[in-house]
Amino acid sequence: MADAAVALPQARAANPAWNFLRLVPGILLLAAIGYAGKLLEQNVGKYAKAHHWTFPNIEYVLWAILLGLLMSNVIGLPQIFRAGVATYEFWLKAGIVLLGARFLLGDVLKLGGVSLALVAIEIVGAIAFMTFLGRAFGLRPKLTSLLAVGSAVCGVSAIIATKGAIEADDEDSGFAIAAILALGALSLFTFPLIGHSLHLTDRAYGLWSGLAVDNTAEAAAAGALYSDAAGKLAVLVKTTRNAMIGFVVLAYAIYWASKGQAQAVGNKATFLWQKFPKFVLGFLLISVLATYQFFNKEQVTALANLSRWAFLLTFAGVGLRTNFRDMRKQGLRPFAVGAIGEVAIAAFTLGLVYAAQGIFHW
Amino acid sequence: MSGKTETSTNPNSKRFSLDTWAVFLALLAALLVRAGVLKHVPW
Repeated sequence: MADAAVALPQARAANPAWNFLRLVPGILLLAAIGYAGKLLEQNVGKYAKAHHWTFPNIEYVLWAILLGLLMSNVIGLPQIFRAGVATYEFWLKAGIVLLGARFLLGDVLKLGGVSLALVAIEIVGAIAFMTFLGRAFGLRPKLTSLLAVGSAVCGVSAIIATKGAIEADDEDSGFAIAAILALGALSLFTFPLIGHSLHLTDRAYGLWSGLAVDNTAEAAAAGALYSDAAGKLAVLVKTTRNAMIGFVVLAYAIYWASKGQAQAVGNKATFLWQKFPKFVLGFLLISVLATYQFFNKEQVTALANLSRWAFLLTFAGVGLRTNFRDMRKQGLRPFAVGAIGEVAIAAFTLGLVYAAQGIFHW
Repeated sequence: MSGKTETSTNPNSKRFSLDTWAVFLALLAALLVRAGVLKHVPW
């Protein structure tokens, strides 16, 4: 599972054309599953209505994830598709950049400012709590660090970035990634249910899922499962969280280097730039261009739709790369620490959202 | 060990990260929309 999730196309093969061609089957599979999800959304409801059945309206997001989960867990993902399926994060990032067209700079600064304050509180609280839990459960210290970073900042990307910086071993990062992914998959089903049962507004729910769901793909999906507006806000808040990755990884790198268990960090500014997610800059650039009317209304709609297509591939990838059998092999303790931590973080961030609602009268 | 690959100027390291390529692709798409090459994107 972890392999499938992190095996982004990084092999430097002799032939770049072959390198590109090997991605094609998996990308086509992402598109086919995503499009099938969209067709199911359009047609299942119509069919049920025509036959007088009571059937809930299931959004394309959930169909795409379910179809992907079904293929990955029942049939298995053939090798030929793996490299292409692993590009789902690439489409996610391109989709987030294009989503910038739907945010005016004023909204980004206002919502981003609020979410930045909440994100800072969330990161400190999550790291402190996960570190405490890891020690209480007797996990290896570097595994605890990876779980803390994964649940506080941005899931798998944060774990991979931290693994390199603190020189954690592959087993620890595999455990941490599996725990974070398993909990991310669960959040797709639990967050919308909790949100609806608490009658959260789109804004409150989007803020909550952006703050509490770890992986960017799952945060976007959990938001979109609630509503389009909630999905949009979840991505903005999650992007704010992602922007913090460099600072958190730098702090961990310095901590482990001070213990003599990782290389010392040379130029800190270079380190921060290397770890900074560049798609955040792309998102801001498109948002600035949209604010200054570089695009007309039809063009903004076209960019928003392109963003939706990119997310469609991402949601299919979320299902396809989730294999519950592989996750079970990773052991119970990291999962238990992750699960307890995630429940506490979800409750804590929900409290933050209610507080923000009270303060800003949303 | 893996720290090296993250921070050094390893000749085998890629010129641009996957992140950056995603930004390039999105900006290219935005330019194509702005230039009218991609006039209508259905959903």
